[in-house]
Amino acid sequence: MALIFVTDWQIWGIPGVVLAMILSVPLSALLGLMCGKLMNMAKGREMILGYMMNYFVTGLYQLLVLYFMGSIIPIKHASIRLPRGYGIRTTVNLANMRQCLDNEFAILYKGVKIPVLNFIIIALLCLFVVWFRRTKLGQDMRAVGQDMEVAQAAGINVDRTRIISIIISTVFAGFGQIIYLQNIGNFPTYTAHSQIGMFCIAALLVGGASVERASIGNVFLGVILFHTMFIVAPRAGVAITGDAMIGEYFRVFVSYGVITLALIMYEIKKRRARSQGGELLARAQREGGVQS
Amino acid sequence: MRGKTLLIRIAALAVCAALAAAMMVIGRGHTLYFDNKTIEDYQGQEYKAFERVVVTVKGEEVAKLGKRERGMATWIGQSFKMTLEITEKKGDEPRTEEVSIQLPYGVDGIVINLPAYLAGLPEEAWFSEFVPMVEEEPAEEEPLPGEGDEFGLEGDLGMEGDLGV
Repeated sequence: MALIFVTDWQIWGIPGVVLAMILSVPLSALLGLMCGKLMNMAKGREMILGYMMNYFVTGLYQLLVLYFMGSIIPIKHASIRLPRGYGIRTTVNLANMRQCLDNEFAILYKGVKIPVLNFIIIALLCLFVVWFRRTKLGQDMRAVGQDMEVAQAAGINVDRTRIISIIISTVFAGFGQIIYLQNIGNFPTYTAHSQIGMFCIAALLVGGASVERASIGNVFLGVILFHTMFIVAPRAGVAITGDAMIGEYFRVFVSYGVITLALIMYEIKKRRARSQGGELLARAQREGGVQS
Repeated sequence: MRGKTLLIRIAALAVCAALAAAMMVIGRGHTLYFDNKTIEDYQGQEYKAFERVVVTVKGEEVAKLGKRERGMATWIGQSFKMTLEITEKKGDEPRTEEVSIQLPYGVDGIVINLPAYLAGLPEEAWFSEFVPMVEEEPAEEEPLPGEGDEFGLEGDLGMEGDLGV
């Protein structure tokens, strides 16, 4: 939504990207707060809740973008409005901020463009994560992620920590989306949010992250592997079957298969740990009964 | 402690608002159109189009204009600068001029008449707003999400006609 406003206000280049990021912060924080509160109400059912919340928020977004923008929320430029006069077109052109971050300080090496500014931003974000992990809040988040009950017993306000972590991740997701879209150069109004989320989760899990734990190393490895699959899969399809689409199907199958496998493994591990815990408790109770 | 935290939060908010305001000013984009056209009657005088004008913006040649031609460039910010290489009449030596124009914030497309501007005429003579033609499209709209025929089956499900009988 911030990108739609910035495009309508004709703010171009890096200032446009920065402004979109600033505008996205309150929107992301509000949605993160709502998401965090709902997640706290449904502890243990976060995955299905998240899935359903996705549909709810998508509906809300479509209502705003399709019916309120141009009618209640002023949109000046006809080029981004639907021909009927209100609502936003299916694609918003971001040509005036296309690759503005990628091209700033870019170095051309043997015909390959190295986007230096992007690398600097990524490095700064990595440093932020490393620093943040060492703070009190970062330690609390790690403790809550590992075991909520233990964290609660240790005096950590679990609900508050979960809400803050979701707000932070929503805000950073917004930044990531803006950086990604400035590279692409156009904004698919009704599908952009679903595409990027799936790619991020897939890349993270392909990189070896689990539901409970993800590190910076997982991110880099995942991104490299995921991109490699994008490049290699169609070529492999051509080499093996003569059809690039076969390779593309294979990529989709492997990428999303990995997500499914990771979620199944997480659930199995959780159940196994729970049953082992139960067995230990039962044994301890039996032994206690024999001794008495 | 509570007061200090509140102060820090207000300061952070103020910094964000100031940064956003600064971005809105320095990032405002404009599309500029350069006309090399004769102004036939401005206060009883004629200002003739140049034989040739080469427009260079940020070291990049954006337009080479003959008589009655229009060029275009984009610019971010309000202080527009360009270099013009002007050949007044056929056979003349071209002269170079550095031009700086303060652009109005609220205008997206700006048309600058070069002969009028270089003659030192007031703004009303060389400045006009470019208003793109808005094409009125018929009631048929582009399909919205969930609408339309995503599977290409519309009107032909293989069931039409006499079902091959």
